[in-house]
Parts: sequence; structure tokens; C-alpha cells
Amino acid sequence: MAEPIIVVRNLSKAFPGVQALRDVQFDLYPGEVHTLVGENGAGKSTLMKILSGVYQRDSGEILINGKPAEINNPRAAQRLGISIIHQELNLMNHLSAAQNIFIGREPRRSGGFLLDEKAINAKAKELFDMLHVDLDPRVKVGELTIAKQQMVEIVKALSFNARVLIMDEPTSPLNDTEVEELFDIIRHLRSQGVGIIYISHRMDELFRISDRITVLRDGQYMGTHRASETDLDQIISLMVGRKIDETARRVPKGKPGEVLLEVRNLNRGRLVKDVGFTVRKGEILGFAGLMGAGRTEVARAVFGADPVDSGEIYIRGRKVVIHHPRDAAKHGIGYLSEDRKRYGLAVGMPLVDNICMTDLPTFMNALGVLRPKKMQEASSEQVEALSIKTPSLLQKVKFLSGGNQQKVVVAKWLVKNCDVLFFDEPTRGIDVGAKQEIYQLLNELASLGKAVVMISSELPEILRMSDRVVVMCEGRITGELDGATATEEAVMKLATQRETMVKTA
Amino acid sequence: MKKRTVVLAFILMLVAVGSLSAQQYYIPLISKGFQHQFWQAVKQGAEQAAKELGVTITFEGPETEAMVDKQIDMLAAALAKNPSALGFAALDSKAAIPYLQQAQAKKIPVIAFDSGVDSNIPLTTCATDNIAAAAYAADKMAELIGGAGEIAVVVHDQTSRTGIDRRDGFVNRIKSKYPKITIVTVQYGGGDQLKSTDLTKAIIQSHPNLKGVFGANEGSAIGVLNGVKEMGKIGKLVVIGYDSGAQQLAAVRSGEMAGAITQNPVGIGYQVVASAVKALKGEKLPTFVDTGFYWYDKTNIDDPKIQAVLYQ
Amino acid sequence: MANKSNAAAVTSPAKMASRARGVSARQKLLAFSSLVLLIIVFSILSPNFFQPYNLIAIMLATAVNGVLAVGVTFVIITGGIDLSVGTMMTFTAVMAAQTVAVWNLPVIVGVLVALLVGTICGLASGVMVAKFRIPPFIATLGMNMLTKGLSLIIANSKPIYFTNAPSFSKISMGTMFPFLENFQIPNAVIILFVLAILASFVLNNTILGRYTFAIGSNEEAVRLSGINTDRWKIAVYGVNGLICGIAGILIASRLNSAQPGLGQGYELDAIAAAVIGGTSLSGGEGTILGTIIGAFIMSTLTNGLRILSVPQEWQIVTTGIIIIFAVYMDMLRKRR
Repeated sequence: MAEPIIVVRNLSKAFPGVQALRDVQFDLYPGEVHTLVGENGAGKSTLMKILSGVYQRDSGEILINGKPAEINNPRAAQRLGISIIHQELNLMNHLSAAQNIFIGREPRRSGGFLLDEKAINAKAKELFDMLHVDLDPRVKVGELTIAKQQMVEIVKALSFNARVLIMDEPTSPLNDTEVEELFDIIRHLRSQGVGIIYISHRMDELFRISDRITVLRDGQYMGTHRASETDLDQIISLMVGRKIDETARRVPKGKPGEVLLEVRNLNRGRLVKDVGFTVRKGEILGFAGLMGAGRTEVARAVFGADPVDSGEIYIRGRKVVIHHPRDAAKHGIGYLSEDRKRYGLAVGMPLVDNICMTDLPTFMNALGVLRPKKMQEASSEQVEALSIKTPSLLQKVKFLSGGNQQKVVVAKWLVKNCDVLFFDEPTRGIDVGAKQEIYQLLNELASLGKAVVMISSELPEILRMSDRVVVMCEGRITGELDGATATEEAVMKLATQRETMVKTA
Repeated sequence: MKKRTVVLAFILMLVAVGSLSAQQYYIPLISKGFQHQFWQAVKQGAEQAAKELGVTITFEGPETEAMVDKQIDMLAAALAKNPSALGFAALDSKAAIPYLQQAQAKKIPVIAFDSGVDSNIPLTTCATDNIAAAAYAADKMAELIGGAGEIAVVVHDQTSRTGIDRRDGFVNRIKSKYPKITIVTVQYGGGDQLKSTDLTKAIIQSHPNLKGVFGANEGSAIGVLNGVKEMGKIGKLVVIGYDSGAQQLAAVRSGEMAGAITQNPVGIGYQVVASAVKALKGEKLPTFVDTGFYWYDKTNIDDPKIQAVLYQ
Repeated sequence: MANKSNAAAVTSPAKMASRARGVSARQKLLAFSSLVLLIIVFSILSPNFFQPYNLIAIMLATAVNGVLAVGVTFVIITGGIDLSVGTMMTFTAVMAAQTVAVWNLPVIVGVLVALLVGTICGLASGVMVAKFRIPPFIATLGMNMLTKGLSLIIANSKPIYFTNAPSFSKISMGTMFPFLENFQIPNAVIILFVLAILASFVLNNTILGRYTFAIGSNEEAVRLSGINTDRWKIAVYGVNGLICGIAGILIASRLNSAQPGLGQGYELDAIAAAVIGGTSLSGGEGTILGTIIGAFIMSTLTNGLRILSVPQEWQIVTTGIIIIFAVYMDMLRKRR
């Protein structure tokens, strides 16, 4: 067997507060597809970024072609023959395919002053032909489909004579035929001796394209297996396999109450397909799934933030029409987005203004002048109820902790008397202590008789908090589990159950 | 389809406007501006004359008095219409010369107005006789201070035609007719209110017996007024201004300013068109047409005839 | 195309390429046909419109704005904006006048001074935008006031006349084709066309042009490709400054004087011409041909309305409507 191109030994990397990678092993041979799998936050991206020169390692060893290598920046990676295709493509839409590929390395003529368009197009055509990509080098990239744009990125990477190609979730924006085309190219590259590091959430792809599979979990190396010698169950158990603190599981208080929200046959584009679910008073409903499964899209559609293609929404059994977040708020539905700073809070403004912001008309007198006293009363009520830790009501929100900021967002909706609250990744970017606070908050909200929908990508969180778990994959609900008995394996299986698999199964 | 309708409507609008020009004398007026009250008043006078004399006019001017090239484009477009005659107030005479020569070659009579055109091509210039107007201001000043005492003059500049004419008109009349009045100083404030205010305060400081000050244009007059106010001399000093403008009108109305000279922009407009028609009929024109001026003070400011020539 | 055999493929690259070219061609056609339509309508409505004398007047009225618009097109394609082109032009004109009329140096020195001063001002704007990260809108607004003030100071707020250099006015008003008796195209117009051809060539065939588009399309991607985007941005603003210098010479020679108070407001006309011609204010898109057509649409419209004796107030209203309409058509095209 040939020498490995890349060998990674005992690689560690820490970020403030998180050990992202701990003693990770990895190697890559020419002419193989080596897939990296793991949950969100398992450390795949960190490993990729270290290999492509974006991050520096803390300790451990990287050998390229048997020689120790320092990859200090993306250019160094390029020189070592390592190219990466990011999930977000880095292309210039107004330039042609050929112009994109050779940006910064344009062939010149007339003493280096003029561009040689003929040469650039010919060279690009050559590369396309080599990969059997059917593309006109002169077409503007903005006019191409995502799949074709990806091809342009791949060709661009290879034009640096890349011997290692890292592909981060390349198939997530592609449809099935496009995935086939991509796989053809990957197989072709493999036959040319290029080593490919492949990252994907789609479990069925794993076995179709991989030669070997390496599993990471919480920054730790869980083992490498030949694709031909393992199966899905084994991989999933390696990915999740965490012990769940059973005692921490939520015990629902009494029977759940009436159905507050029911959604039937909701459809919107590719990511919301025929979705239906119910939430009851005093209940926490977990929405599990991998990134891009369509959970946020469901929440946004219910909330009226995005127009729906079809579907019905019932509040307390009565059918309602929601065209706009305004309508949703009127019916008592609140949505707490993942990105608090962007969508949820005016961080430069005081606590009291933030809490009252969505409901200012109720704090105005007849002349339209705001009544600060009434605003402060309402705010201090919420501060007490949610035990928000702040020196004063006039404190600017940006000086509060992440957990307390989250509470301010919740307070905003409680002021409006919302009964159904969607939490989208409520604990993302929050430290462990604050997470506890958020969990407590969710429990309290449920016991106050609110219906809580929690979208989370962290399995332990889902299992710990939910009374019921709804699992989504590629826009469809693939199953519903009872919170008390659900296991990580069961959730993960449903979360990776693609439509194509269902059909072929 | 919708697009075609829009285009059609647009064309119809143009036809409607375009068909206004009938088979009669057509006289375009190119002025120095069009949005100021002063120019609107000139336009009004021109339209009045056009109606009375049965000719067609258009009135155009650039957005600001700095846009020399835009004025020349307007001149070029006006000439392209083969006008019968042309009224012109040059922003910069030299830049316009080639076009005026074209007009001359095509035998189109050119009538200059306002500060005129520095060339011998125009047959006549219709403008305010600034010397006579300033002399009248001097008479009023003499009358109001009782024919004797010290006075001062604040002028906008010593190089422009209007600055020179107004200064000389005022100063010469005092010297020749009122020997008991002394002009202690003539100062130049660039027409800038603040600068003129400072000047005035300095003059009052050094001449405690001063009885009156003449401000030779709008900016100077308001500067003088503010200077007098800041020195606490309102009512003790006679202030006489020139032109109008909201602040000056208010000061005259309240009596803080004894009165002011106003040009007659309506008369300017009227005379341009009237002179052009005379030229077309082959009549001989004088080299200068005095369009007149008015004295206004508290007593006559609301007179419709005066109101017609004042601007805010 | 090598394998045209699979003609059944929906997204055959050949088809896609022709569609891509079709879109930009359609845009140019739209702008161009608007211009032709304007000319036809005005010609029908007034016999005075389609006359050699008037056509030359239109071209002359386009020259300065056209040159400024070419310069600002470069900046807009990078996704930036330049609000100082009008006053920068004036500043270069004043410097040329100072050199020729006050210091009595030869005309050619005056021309070179104007070009140099323009380039330096442009580069300064570029440094502010690229290095100091001042938003282009603010940086060039500052440059607008700065050059305006300097013009007034140097010229002492009065026009400077080229009385000692009669040949200076020939730069704009002379003609290279004296034999065309009734249709003597002034040099200013010839200079505009030559500049447009050169600028178009630079934009499409040189590395500067390529990076101009690339930066406007996705600056981050260009930076990640290892290109010093700051340097190229500064260069683009410098080119714009140089072109403002050309405009300064044209206007000074046309007026036979440098008018220090002039220039404010001209930047908006230049930007409007570029946008009417299909240059996208969000960057990455634009052509010089489009910009020139845009400048001609504006001057033809103004001239035509004047020829039709439309009251001045309505001329302004109509021009506003046309600009909005033109840009709206462009938006419709892009939404497709």
C-alpha cells in the first residue's frame, strides 16, 4: 500500500471553555475517500480547519507525505496540496467560471498587461474535460445551479494541483441526481490518486462513497472503520454512545393539558414537507434532527415569518390564519430565534426597553407618549418571575450574561401573554452554568401552563428536557418518541432516515 | 403592454406641451437662475409682457449660479429652436461668447438683462440703475438723520459691478448734496452676514456719534442690522438696506430697519420682452433700459405694488 | 462544445451561455432602444431637434457628464460610490488654470497638472476607503467638500480665465474633422468616445478590470484567493480621479475658464448615467457602453424637453420619472 498523504497523531485543540479536539488520530491515503462523522460540535470542522490552515493546533503532530508539516495559513495548506471546499461557496457570481477558477493567477499577454481570455477559457475547459464536467467556462457563475457552482469550486481547488480535497457537507444543498454527479466526480478523483476527506450528515451516503469512516464524539477519536466492514448501527452507536444522566430527565408534572397548538399538513419548499404536530399546555415538545433538517423552517413558517405553501394551524382547536409574525403574536405564539443578537434583542438598549419593545402600544397614553413607569412595572414583574440577574432595569442588555439575555427575550414574549413558545437552539453559545438556568426556565414555563417547543441539535438536551420528541429529516417528520423512553440511538436513526432510504427499505 | 401605455401617455404629454408653440415670435429667456423669488418675479414680468404683446416666451436658468456650463447648454438648446430674439443674463460672459456670436450670425437680436453681458453683441441691457437707486437711498438717509452727522457704508465687494455702482451712487450723492453729512468709512463684508456684523460693530465702537449705516445688498444689510442690534443701538441708528429677503422684510416691518431699496424684477422681465419686440420691429433701442426701483418702509411695505416686487 | 450529443440535457452549457449573453445583451438593447425611442419621439415633435447643430449641442452637453460617469462606473462596479467626482473635476480645472493662466506655464503642463491632481485626489479617497475603512459614501463626501473648498481658496472664489492661452479652449471646442462642414464634432466629444473605448478595454481586458468586477462581486472571495484587494481598490479610485482630471480639462476649456464654484451636484448626474446604463449599485455589474448610453439618455432628454419648450419645473419632474423608470426596468430584469 502507498504511503499516507496525511497522518495526524494525538492532535489537540482547545478554545476558551471548550476542549474541541483531544488526542485525535487521522490518516489519509492517496486515492481514498475518508469520511468524518460525528454530531454537531464533535470536532469535525475544527479538524478540517486545522488541516486547511485556518486554526493552529495546540499539540500533536501532522505529517504530510511522511514529513512533519506546519500549516500556518490557508496559503501554506494550498502549497502542501490541501484544498478545501467550504459549505458556503466562495465564488464571484458576476465572473465567469474560468475567471473564478484563475482569479489572482490570470494568464497574461502583451507583456503582462492584458488578460488572455482565450488561454483562461482553454485552460478551464481542459480541467472540466479532465473531470468530465459539462460546463462552458464562459458562463457567469451566478447563472449556474448550486451543484455546478460546486463543480467550479472543485475545479478551482484542483487547479492548485491539490492532492487532498476536503469537502464539508457538499451534498446538503444538492438534489439526488446532482449528488450522483458529484459522486461520479469524487470517484474519478479517487481513481486519479487524490485523497478526499468527506464530511456528511447523510448516513446513507456514507456507505456509498466512503472507503473508510472515522467517528469523532465530543472532540475525541472514536475509531476508524473500513466501510465494507461496518454498518450504520455501529457508526451511530459510536457517534452517540454518551451516558445520559437519567436522574436529570424531566418529570412531567401531572397530565398534560389541552392542546394549545396543532399544525396539520404544513408545506413550505424543500425543507417543510407535510409536517404535522400538536403541543399541549404544560408540555415541552422537543424537535430533534440534524442541521438543515427543516426544524427552524417549521418554526418560522408557523410563526408567519416565511410564507407557507399549504397547511393548517389550529389554536385551542380553532383554525387561524397566520400571514405575518404580527398575527402569530396576536394568537399567543412566540418565537425565540437562535441568533439572539440579530433577531431577538436590541443589545445597546436598556432591559426595560427590550422587554416592552414588542408591545409598546400598551405602554402609551392617549397622546402616543410612552409611560416609563408602566413599562418599568411590567419589566420588574418579569425580572422577578424569571429571576433575571441585573443591577437595574436600565442596564443595557449587552452587559448581561448569555443566560440572562435569553431570559430577556423570553420576558418580551411573556409581556405579550404568549402561550406557545418556540425556542430555537436556546442553549447555543451559552456556558454550562447558564444552560442549567435555561433548563430551569423551560421547566418553569411549562409548569406555568405554557406550551414549549424546543428545537435543539444536542441529543442529551433533547432527551433531558422533552416530554415528547419529534424527529425531522430533510423536511419530513420521521417519527415521534416518548421523552421518558427515547434513546440517542433511536433519535439518531430517525434523524438520518432519508426519504430515499425509506423507499428502498 | 403596460409599458407601451406609459410610453404613449408620455408622448401625448409632450405633444400637448410642444403644440403650445404657435406661429408667432418666440423669445427664450436664459436667466441666471429660476428657483429664487427674484428670478420668479423676472419670469412673471416677462410672461406679462408676452401676453400683452402677443409673443411666446420660455424662461430657463440653471439650478445654482455656479453652473456656468449648464447655462451654456440651455443657450445652445435655445438657439437650436431658431428663436426670433433672445434674452440673456450671463453667469459668465466670456464662456457664452461663441454662442452669442452664433446668434449674431443668425441675425437673432440679443437683449441682456440683470447684470448684463460683457460684450457688444446685445442690443441693450435691461437692468436696475444701481447708481440712481443708491443715490435715492442716500437722499432717504439724509432725510432720516436730519441732514447732518456721521454715517457709514457696508458694501458686499469692491470689484463687482453692483458693488461699485451702489457704493459710488450713495457716496457721490452724499458728497455733492449733503455737505453736513460725513461718511466716516466704507467697508467691504463680501455680502456675508457674519462678516458684515463684525464690521458694523467695529465701526459703531470707533464712532460713537454714528447716526446711520447703509448696507448695499441683502447680506450686508442684515449684517448691519445684527451689528446694530448687538451693540444695543436699535432705534438710535438709522439702518437702510437693499433688496429684500425674509429677514430684511421683517426688520422693515418692525421698524428696526428704516427702509430699503428694492429692484424691480417684474419690470426687468417686462422690459426684456418689450425691448426684444421693439428690436424685431426694427425700432432703435437705447443702450440701457432702466427698469426702475422702489423705496419701501413700514408705511408702504404692504402696498400691492411693492409686495409684487419683494421676495422672501 | 465537445459533447453536444446529449442535447436532451435541460441545462446544456451552450444554452446556458447563450442565455447569459442574452440577458446582458437585452439590457444594453433596452437602454439603447430607449435612447433611440427618445430621439425618434423628439424628432417627430419638433423639426428643430434632429438638426446637425442641435445634435452637436447634445453631444457637447454629454461630454463632461459622460466622462465623469465613465470614471464613477469603475468605482460603482467595485461596490463603492464616489460623491466627489464633480468637485474633484472643478479642483483639477482650477489647478490647470492656476498653472496656465497664473503661472504662465505651457498648456500641456496645465493638462498634466490636472491629470496628476485628479489622480492624487482619487488615490486619497481610495486609501480612505480601503485602508482606513471609512465607508465610501462618507470618505468621498469629505473629498467632495475638501476639493470644493480648495478650489475656492486657490481661485480666490473668482473664475480664472485663460486669456493668455487661446489654444486652451481648442482642447474642447476645436475639431479634428474641420472638413465635415455642417457637422463639426467638437474635440470634447471625440475625447469622450476615445476615453469610453479605452475604459471599456481596460475593464474587459486587463487585470485591473477583472479585479474591479471581482471585488464588486465578492470581495471576501477575492481576498481569500490571495489578492491584495486594498491595493486594487485604491487603484480603481485613482483611475476615477484621473478621469475626473480629464473632465476638468474639458470643462475648463469649454468655458475658457475655471469656475471654482461649479461641480456640486454633478456627481449625482454621473451616478444616474451609470445606473441608467445598467451599472448595479450593489457592485459586480456594469458596462462602459451602458454608461455612455445612460449619459446620452439624460442629455437627450434634457435637450429635447428644452427644444419642446417644456417648462423647466416639468423638465425636472420628467427627468426624475425617467430615471426611476429606467432603474425599475433594470430591477425587473434582475428579478427574473
